[in-house]
Amino acid sequence: MITRRITLSTGQGTGLIDLTSRLDEEVAAAGLRRGRLHLHSLHTTLGLILDRMEPVLLDDLIRFNGEASNGHHADGGRGRLLLRPGITALVEDGRLLLGRRQAILAVELDGPRSRELALQLEGEFSAAPTDRELELVELELRRQLLCDPDPMRLPMARLVEAGGKRLRPMVVVLASRLGPAHDPLRAAVLGAAVELIHDATMVHDDYVDEAATRRGRPAVAVAEGPARAIEVGDYYFARATRMIAELGDDEVTRTIAGALETICLSQIDEVALRGSYPGDHATYLQVVRGKTAALIAAACEAGARLGGGGIELAARVARYGELLGIAFQMVDDLLDYSDASGKPIGTDIRQRTLSLPLIYAYEDERAGPLLRRLFAGELDEEAVVRVQELVRQCGALERVAAEARSLIASALEELSGLDPDRGGAALAEIAKRAVDRVS
Amino acid sequence: MSVDTEVLSPDLRHLEIHWEGSLGEAYRAHRHRWPPKLALAAALVETGVGLHGLGRTVPSPVDLLLGDLCLARASRLLANEAGRVVQIAFARAIELAASAPTSGADLPMIRELLGRALEGAV
Repeated sequence: MITRRITLSTGQGTGLIDLTSRLDEEVAAAGLRRGRLHLHSLHTTLGLILDRMEPVLLDDLIRFNGEASNGHHADGGRGRLLLRPGITALVEDGRLLLGRRQAILAVELDGPRSRELALQLEGEFSAAPTDRELELVELELRRQLLCDPDPMRLPMARLVEAGGKRLRPMVVVLASRLGPAHDPLRAAVLGAAVELIHDATMVHDDYVDEAATRRGRPAVAVAEGPARAIEVGDYYFARATRMIAELGDDEVTRTIAGALETICLSQIDEVALRGSYPGDHATYLQVVRGKTAALIAAACEAGARLGGGGIELAARVARYGELLGIAFQMVDDLLDYSDASGKPIGTDIRQRTLSLPLIYAYEDERAGPLLRRLFAGELDEEAVVRVQELVRQCGALERVAAEARSLIASALEELSGLDPDRGGAALAEIAKRAVDRVS
Repeated sequence: MSVDTEVLSPDLRHLEIHWEGSLGEAYRAHRHRWPPKLALAAALVETGVGLHGLGRTVPSPVDLLLGDLCLARASRLLANEAGRVVQIAFARAIELAASAPTSGADLPMIRELLGRALEGAV
């Protein structure tokens, strides 16, 4: 049996959060092939249901709950009487067994809050080598953190333990497996180092973006103060580069170091571009290539190199990684318009973060002028809701989803002919799941 | 110095203003002992740590990003120009500098640490 904790931040008052794709990711990450998923809320005013995600359900719930006009109900209201704290779902063929319209929903009765759910997975787990190797990455992460001084270790440990998709270490391990000299221990070190780089970058990003939370918990800059956040980011940036140097593979070191500089340059570009918000498609791609795709591409390339793969293999998986990274960011942009991520929706709009749906909506004949007018002033909550409506109505979300799917199709082409049993199939599955998050 | 500047120019993108100040000064301090790219890597680390205000002040977001760029660029220069021993010693120097403010230890003299790291290069 595997036991985990899932954290989420909920919106104001009563609300529904679709957890299905997140739970599917947990099932896949754990390698559960057949069995049961048990999910339990650790709060009296957060329940769990198996139902269809639709606005009318939320309206009924708000009406029944007798929500106060300010959207707040100190004790969670009458809704508490109906809700159950736990839910069990069946797993078959590595996926949740749900009807076409069924979803696992968290019901918030007293938001906004930071919530924790207990997850248990039991049944037949896949014994694929990849699963064991990803466990090695987790062990390596814990091992590295164990030796560090508490003021550095504890904030980073909280971030690492909060979960995350571990996308970058996964592609490191899988790309390494494609090479003839794959060594699981060395791949785990590289995977853990890449994850630490990603986490260190996020610690600094959250200070720059004034983000309140990360992975459902307070951002390091909020919990520990900005000075500590900067120290922690620097410390683990250095630690990760040291781990990579200690692997003693010059090509791997060069690949990751090149990506680090690209990430930093794109972050500077992104801040500089805030004056011309929301930008255009070319600008978006330029920033996303650096901000998100560069490290994923480098993780793929460095993994292949570490596993002894040749230049051609490294180049192919790097192209796969770049396409995946761009598509992944597009899907993240879409999630800002949906409850599926468990994150508060509309965050990108409030923070005026570069976002492709908004770029496309600006191009729309009808929505564009209205959006320009809204963004010319202060964005209060009413304006944020109006922006979301305009973006939804003009077809921008469908356009972005189609573009993300097309990128994933190209990414999959890069994998054609690679040994499915040595990582090719799992890399393809990661790419498919990246777009599944919005389908 | 103008010859060096010409050689280093692509590596100074976004940091031109600091080249006129702390970055240029740190570079000159290292340059009399080390080749241009290694001296620049050391100067970038010094400038990055300085921009991050470790143990002193909280930097502005812009200074934080420029400091990150300094550290990343130094990492790339070392990957191309230095051996494993120097890369590891530089990383340890940054780890020390980053953890010193909370450990109660005196802030290490970063220039001295980097100089010692570079000695491992020859």
